[in-house]
Amino acid sequence: MSYIKINQDKCKSCYLCIDVCPHKLIKKSNNTGSTGELTVEFSDNENKCIGCAQCAIVCPEIAIEEVTRE
Amino acid sequence: MQVYSIPKSIKENSKFTFCKGCDHGVAIKIIAEIIDELNLRENTIAISSSGCSVLLYNFLDVDCLEAPHGRACAVATGVKRAHRAKKDEKFVFTYQGDGDFASIGLSESMHSALRGENITAICINNTNYGMTGGQMGPTSTMGQLTTTSPLGRNKEYHGFPIKTAEQIALCEGTQFSARVALYDVKNILNAKKIIKKAFECQLNNKGFSFVEILSSCPTNWKLSPQDSHKKIAEELTKIYPLDIFKDTTND
Repeated sequence: MSYIKINQDKCKSCYLCIDVCPHKLIKKSNNTGSTGELTVEFSDNENKCIGCAQCAIVCPEIAIEEVTRE
Repeated sequence: MQVYSIPKSIKENSKFTFCKGCDHGVAIKIIAEIIDELNLRENTIAISSSGCSVLLYNFLDVDCLEAPHGRACAVATGVKRAHRAKKDEKFVFTYQGDGDFASIGLSESMHSALRGENITAICINNTNYGMTGGQMGPTSTMGQLTTTSPLGRNKEYHGFPIKTAEQIALCEGTQFSARVALYDVKNILNAKKIIKKAFECQLNNKGFSFVEILSSCPTNWKLSPQDSHKKIAEELTKIYPLDIFKDTTND
């Protein structure tokens, strides 16, 4: 199962990862980050993540720390 | 199988202190990845300059030296030559902003290129002086609103912007000069390939190599990170075309 690991402490809520995810698996969470806005979280209940790592490539904060592909 | 992890050349537990959506983070990340790939970590001296780019030394786990404003290429020249004289060849690159490279330090940068100094210069072009509050920089585009050009840059009063990568390509000592952008995945991967080529140019003792990176500045452009990237893709790349302007590394 492919998955990504997001470090909520580093997320600055730019939401570039939300736009780039081909299956829209990254969503806003309920936690407030360092910029006072909602951070992002990864939810993949249907195992749709393909581990393309595009989210990690565009993340300017290296908040997406790991991408594992099955 | 792990397909992505934080580059080893980024200091552990470091948290970037740039504004949200700033492309500096992506630029530092890909430089760290290239340093890992070329196994240069123990052999690199990075020269950072004044401006947002100075923060490089907080995040990159290599030896760094901070140059006075605009003088990064001059400092890099000294570092490179001093180590060469001791027969201890180091990989030296500078990481500068556009105001630093192309305005305050234009003479140092240009003459390093003319001498064909065997260093690599990386210039982050965000079309203003970001750290000090978005003043008009040498690369601000015609009509751009900044804090020191509140009615827009005009040719009568401010003159025209400098196209750094093209100008550096005109210098005979330059062996590699290119402009890249970081507004989407394709361009980030391409930028990584081109910066790697510039680094290899130095490793093969060819001469001066230069990469200009079009970067977003959402805070001073007063746009969202998404709109900043859109502005680069639709407006800035027309004024500053993405290309390799000189490449003699295969000659």
